[in-house]
Amino acid sequence: MEFQAPAINIAIILPVVIVAGFGLVLMILDMLMEDELRGLGPWISLGGLVLAGLQTIALWLGGSYETFIPVGGHPMVVVDGYAHFFNMLFIITGILAILMSMPYLIKADIDEKAEYYMLLMFSISGMMLMGMANDLLLIFIGLELLSIPLYVMCGIARPREASEESAMKYFLLGAFASGFLVFGLALLYGATGSTALPVVVENFTAGGVIAYTGLAMQLVGLAFKVGAVPFHMWTPDVYEGAPTAVTAFMSVGAKVGGFAAMIRILAEAVPQESAPIWTTAIAIIAAATLILGNVVAISQTNIKRMLAYSSIAHGGYILMAVAALPFSGDAVSASLTYMLTYMFTNLGAFAVIMMVEKSGNRGVLLEDYKGLSKRNLGMALILAYFMFSLIGMPLTGGFIGKFVVFQAAIDANLIWLTIIGVVTAAVSAYYYLRVVFYMFMFDGQGDLEFSPAMMTATTVALVATLAIGFFPGLWLNLARTASLASQLLMAGG
Amino acid sequence: MIPLSWYLIVSACLFCIGLYGVMARRNAVAMLMAVELTLNAVNINLIAFWRYNNPGEPIGVAWAIFVLTVAAAEAAVGLALIISIYRQRDSVVAEELDILKY
Amino acid sequence: MTNSIVLTLLMSLPLVGVVVILFLPVFNNQTDFNIKFVANATAIITLLFSIAILPLYDMGVPTLQLEDTGSWIDALGVTYHVGVDGLSILMILLTTFISAVAIGSSWNGIDKQVKQYYIFMLLLETGMLGVFLAQDLFLFYIFWEFTLVPMYFLIGIWGGKERVYASIKFFLYTMAGSLLMLIAILYVGIQAGTFNLPELIANRELYAGAQQWLFWGFAIAFAIKVPVFPFHSWLPDAHTQAPTAGSIVLAGVLLKMGTYGFMRFNLPMFPEASTNAAPIMATLAIIGIIYGAIVSFAQTDVKKLVAYSSISHLGFVMLGIFSLNEIGIQGAILQGVNHGLSTGALFFLVGVIYEQRHTREISEFGGLWRAMPVFAVTSLIVTLSSMGLPGLNGFVGEFSILLASTGSDALGDSPWIYTAFATSGVILAAIYLLKMYQGVFMGPLDNPKNQALRDMNRGELAIMLSFLLFIVWIGIAPSIWFASMDATVADLIQNVVMMAGG
Repeated sequence: MEFQAPAINIAIILPVVIVAGFGLVLMILDMLMEDELRGLGPWISLGGLVLAGLQTIALWLGGSYETFIPVGGHPMVVVDGYAHFFNMLFIITGILAILMSMPYLIKADIDEKAEYYMLLMFSISGMMLMGMANDLLLIFIGLELLSIPLYVMCGIARPREASEESAMKYFLLGAFASGFLVFGLALLYGATGSTALPVVVENFTAGGVIAYTGLAMQLVGLAFKVGAVPFHMWTPDVYEGAPTAVTAFMSVGAKVGGFAAMIRILAEAVPQESAPIWTTAIAIIAAATLILGNVVAISQTNIKRMLAYSSIAHGGYILMAVAALPFSGDAVSASLTYMLTYMFTNLGAFAVIMMVEKSGNRGVLLEDYKGLSKRNLGMALILAYFMFSLIGMPLTGGFIGKFVVFQAAIDANLIWLTIIGVVTAAVSAYYYLRVVFYMFMFDGQGDLEFSPAMMTATTVALVATLAIGFFPGLWLNLARTASLASQLLMAGG
Repeated sequence: MIPLSWYLIVSACLFCIGLYGVMARRNAVAMLMAVELTLNAVNINLIAFWRYNNPGEPIGVAWAIFVLTVAAAEAAVGLALIISIYRQRDSVVAEELDILKY
Repeated sequence: MTNSIVLTLLMSLPLVGVVVILFLPVFNNQTDFNIKFVANATAIITLLFSIAILPLYDMGVPTLQLEDTGSWIDALGVTYHVGVDGLSILMILLTTFISAVAIGSSWNGIDKQVKQYYIFMLLLETGMLGVFLAQDLFLFYIFWEFTLVPMYFLIGIWGGKERVYASIKFFLYTMAGSLLMLIAILYVGIQAGTFNLPELIANRELYAGAQQWLFWGFAIAFAIKVPVFPFHSWLPDAHTQAPTAGSIVLAGVLLKMGTYGFMRFNLPMFPEASTNAAPIMATLAIIGIIYGAIVSFAQTDVKKLVAYSSISHLGFVMLGIFSLNEIGIQGAILQGVNHGLSTGALFFLVGVIYEQRHTREISEFGGLWRAMPVFAVTSLIVTLSSMGLPGLNGFVGEFSILLASTGSDALGDSPWIYTAFATSGVILAAIYLLKMYQGVFMGPLDNPKNQALRDMNRGELAIMLSFLLFIVWIGIAPSIWFASMDATVADLIQNVVMMAGG
């Protein structure tokens, strides 16, 4: 067999290359440099992310591309609007996460600075691969690249036991879920004879029961990653135990990454005629996720744990849009919009939470929020706004997200699911409002710890949430241009 | 020649043993081993599919190599975590990891 | 269509006040006074502005006037569209009036977090105006939900002992209802491709197939707000716990948003379904009238009594709407205004006495007539207006509604049965209100704590007189009030009857 180098257009995948490359640079610097210079870690990674962001924008303006074509095969990477959109999401998540981590790591006495940012960069590059992958193999690699650094990051507050324990739990269940995913992907490959999504979809029906088993198993694996019921049980423990900065990063990045791959597979690798089967399954999972996430969140007393259940519930809303995929031309753009609003709102809320938190994992109970409005009205109002956005009140980004998701679900005739969605949204108001009334309607003491980086992150998240809430048109158009072309064809729109 | 389905059955059995191991064992090291079993099941599948369906394209083998690499990385991270916890608590039994609870 | 910015301007006026208050300095003794002054001035200017634009409003035109339109979210087919017609013109005036009164009445009562308080009050005013002005379903929904937030804070921060419970209950009830409405709105929007109300009404055949469901989607949201009988349980809690101004706004305006919603959306968009549902809604209205009256009778707390009486009064409004004839709708709108005035005034009076005695139990009082003569006289007039004495405003509204229900085609073969039950509600109202009045004002002045009570001061009297002005005006000369809505209501009924008939 003659070896031939595959055609790789590096320029197209430059954003991912930059992010991963900066991760490698950090890794080397960490070994070579003096302790004082390691403080540069966050700045180097910020620089890398900004570069990658600029490159993404440049590519986005240029159009969509395919690259990395193996001999006689199909492109492994598709850099279309969808991929650009997700790349931007991950880069922004990364930038905000780094801004939040800088003061947080100091507060939490975490030493491994350069190491931490290196892991963060690798994880982001994995997420980016998930959005660009057009090949089963690459989806697997992206997922592992996303997950493995996250396991370590959860445990980085060593020797704090809660942190180590959360890392352990996340690792065991995460690795297990990866096993499911890759087993499913392997079956899909076996049933269809190819790893390229365009070929998989052609041969899917011929693959019969093996193809369906593969599809189901890889969905289970991704459901683990996005924390969908009944595969959610790791979420609360891990979110509570992990350092808050990592929780914030993971609650957005890992979840959105999982959905990026899930939507791409369901829209491009599965033929239309199988839609009734898997949409029913997804719709049921979505309903269970919405109900469990929102109901269990009510009884939480730890705000990180509460937001863990809340993030499970938000996954449920995104799943609603996924269930509408084959039947509504707006489903992809709806889920993209939802993820965009969720990203800013959730990261913003976590930023305020980190300011309230005290060293040693204290200050994370709802009790600690008593009387916050009297100590610092501005911060209390900002957190209240994020809470209203998570509920989905009008004039917040969260409302626009819920609105388009419900719209897509109704368009797909999933009325029953929409009703569950709105009822659970009303339930969710209860626990989000609890934070608000603790802040405004009780007395209490304790101070916030401000820092410029944290304030910057909060401001960015706040401005973005406001902008989406008041002027959604621009963002909706952005999400719409980023939706998958094939999905639009499927739904006949 | 042995039919493809035999390989798939072996691989499915291996996967189920792994599944059972993760669910039933309480020792973190044993759970890690069970996870590795599931990954090996995947490898059997991949190689079998490659050999029987399209031996012309190397993607199946390449994939199996990737799975091996990932399994190694996971084992490294996992064992490091386990050792770190063991140093603190003298235990790697999952049920004793109970600071975080519902 | 020519755009007019006056309505947009009207909605923005309270926001200007909010911005000014935000930038007032916090740390000096003058601040509270400054904030109060700015807030009051804003509310009064808004009120005057709403009166000043009346000459621009032409009573003879049935359709929307003073419209302002603009593009907003093209991606969703959402436009900015505000306008006013006969259904809403009185509601606008009621809103600006009640807001001014409520803000004025808080001058002495609010002593903590003054700045936040007035910001929320003014935001609430903008929200309420938006609800009555919006002519696009999306825009309407935004304002509708938005009013929840300031009200939630007003009850939750400045309310009574059980304020947290009451505020959450208020929020969750209303939100659950409005989310069901959101589904209906989305469905209508998807089917018709627009959220613009006039277009939706013109193209109602596009979603007529599902109108039985859609009707209830909207109806439940509005019914919770009104509140119609089985959905009422949030109201007594919210009313009792809210600060005085909160109660005034809640009774005066927020409840009217529900009844207004029925007239603005349910009737023209789903005429057949409305006709079908009329007997059910009327029955619920009757149950509300009698239930509210009986429960009121059993109350020992004055504020709770007034709160339950609202359920009874709003029952009349609902009966008027679902009589589905001209006089019924007119009576319903006017009765809405009347209830806002009478009950708003009652809550204000309760607030005056509560500020001094910190109790509202009827048994704690007695013989106040002697201690506070002016207070007693004004209370008597308001009480009489609330029970519907001829010559005062309540009579006009209730009488039109009763009249409408006897002649209603929508209520089946013997609509007089509804009238009979509703009339018993009028009698019950007389009983419980007079019982309250007797308990508080008549009898010996034997409780020593009551002997030192001061009568109303000038500010309070001024507020009361402004209430009384309208109470008497509507009572004696109702024709101008009816005329303001005549054309629109006639048009609406004609459409409903035509669609439901054909």
